[in-house]
Amino acid sequence: MLRYLAKRVLMALIIIYIVLTLSFFMVRLMPGNPMAALEAQLRQQGGLTDQEIQQRVAAVYGVLPNAPVLTQYKDYLVNILHGNLGVPITNPGTTVVAVISQALPWTILVVGVSLIISFIIGVAIGSAMASFPDSAFSKIMTFVVSFLSAVPNYLIAILLIYVLTATYQVFPSGGAYGVDARPGLNGPYLVSVLYHAVLPVFASVVTSFGGWALAMKGSAVSVLGAEYVRAAESRGLSERVISRSYVGRNSMLPMVTQLALSIGFMFGGSFFIEYYFQYPGIGYYMIQSVNNRDYSLMMGCFLLITVSVVVTNLLVDLLYPLVDPRIINPAARRRADAPGPDSGTDDATTLPVGGTVA
Amino acid sequence: MRFVSDLWRILRADKGALVGGVIVAIYCLVAIFGPVFVKVSNDQDANNAYLPPSWTHPLGTDSLGQGVMSQIIVGARPIMIVGVLAAIITIFIGVLLGLLSGYAGGLTDSVIMRITDVFLTVPGLPLIIVLAAVIHTTNPFILACILSITAWAGLARAIRSQALSLRSSDFVEAAKLQGVSMGNMVGRQLLPNVGPYVAIHFLLAITGAIYAEVGLFLLGVAPIAGTNWGIMINLAMSQGALYTTDSAFYLFSPMAAIVILQVAFVFFSRALDSVFNPRLRVQ
Repeated sequence: MLRYLAKRVLMALIIIYIVLTLSFFMVRLMPGNPMAALEAQLRQQGGLTDQEIQQRVAAVYGVLPNAPVLTQYKDYLVNILHGNLGVPITNPGTTVVAVISQALPWTILVVGVSLIISFIIGVAIGSAMASFPDSAFSKIMTFVVSFLSAVPNYLIAILLIYVLTATYQVFPSGGAYGVDARPGLNGPYLVSVLYHAVLPVFASVVTSFGGWALAMKGSAVSVLGAEYVRAAESRGLSERVISRSYVGRNSMLPMVTQLALSIGFMFGGSFFIEYYFQYPGIGYYMIQSVNNRDYSLMMGCFLLITVSVVVTNLLVDLLYPLVDPRIINPAARRRADAPGPDSGTDDATTLPVGGTVA
Repeated sequence: MRFVSDLWRILRADKGALVGGVIVAIYCLVAIFGPVFVKVSNDQDANNAYLPPSWTHPLGTDSLGQGVMSQIIVGARPIMIVGVLAAIITIFIGVLLGLLSGYAGGLTDSVIMRITDVFLTVPGLPLIIVLAAVIHTTNPFILACILSITAWAGLARAIRSQALSLRSSDFVEAAKLQGVSMGNMVGRQLLPNVGPYVAIHFLLAITGAIYAEVGLFLLGVAPIAGTNWGIMINLAMSQGALYTTDSAFYLFSPMAAIVILQVAFVFFSRALDSVFNPRLRVQ
């Protein structure tokens, strides 16, 4: 058990370290890198001594550009350990950490709500499809679900904006709450927050519940064919007990794992939604910073997204033995891992578009 | 030819897959031959802006008076090239590492799988956006490399687990006893047996790459140069197509082009799946 924990924690730390290093080299050492560009820009403006330029750059990135690379690297890691990600180039009055911590709650709200809704809808539809494979409902749903999981979410977002905010102004076109709402625990503010979250949540639910439904159907179908289900049937257990305790529980297990894993991944999947609905979350700020060439803010957002994914994965790994004790028992794990003749073919059909990249 | 006749039989029975396959074929033809026949003219005439569909401009015109239809046709090639290139890179790396790791085992396996774990854990889309923003390339090959930066990892994992089960099969044992080389073992013995899975993953990798690629152009992260569907939507949005009623064709045509292609790929891949998985056909 302890070995399992230590291995997982070590792996997560190594991945975080690799990502930090990668982003250091990306921003500082690539030809035409952002730091050299900022230096050149300041030099072009004129009126600044070399010393001042160095200090300006250092204020943004937290390291001196003409220091040896290893010193820069050390300074960078020390800064990050102190929670200092530098200053946004376009808005020097604040810090990257402050911008991110302001944006984070909105992303968590929209991502969390849409994840839960699409999970519930998807699992319900998927299990219905598995229980009545020959019904008209199942056939129609197979089509609808394959169709929707193939449609890119940004196109749904554009369509919604076109119809519901530009043509018929039913919903607001941006922001997380109205200008007249005063932040705090009051009715109008909460209503305004929900009102502004409706479209972003809807857009991501429409494009993601299909993936859940297909995954749930696949999982349930594979459990339905299992021998313990046949055994339960031949023992004369009632339909309800079988579907709840035998099929339901076992087919939910991989879904719950998947749900936990996607909490991290959804941070990265909300770019388009936040960008088009001008919803002030992490993804929105990251795209803004890319378009403004504000690389310190961009890397800050990137680091936050990556680290949160790694940490969620770690938490799932740590909690999973509670759900499935086979994981930490090496002999049992080998049995569970042993690939069947058709392993690996199942996820190909359930993979949603974008699932390969997000 | 077994494959072709099987495919045809499945396609005939599954109308959705047939339509999907035909649409994918049409898109490929348009991408290859379209730019030969259709040119986006350089003359810009504001008087022709936002024309409704007509005989000369079947989908109307954009804000500069250029035909939307011809832009869609010309824009197919860059999208398809990058999508297919990215899928080829993904498949190549994923299959190579997966087979190597699964067959060789031992230290090679551990090293490759740890690297794969890193790429599986790092979220793909943010990494793609950051890389595309810093590199800022117009080269289709480099763009394809960026798009496949993490996509290969999942495939490598799946291929590895198949290679693990193949390793203990009789024909691999026989080949091993004959003392074949590593290249022969991976290329001639293992590869043909994971082919079906690879083919389906290839189609899905194309859709994934097109999704991310168009997204990069929509966000303005990739350089806006030339004509493709993502750039068309980006320009339409930035020219306020949301707020002028005449520009609906201009905004929605490229969107429709993308949706039709993506859906067609998914339905076609379903047919391919049942050709290669006789088990599914029975169900």
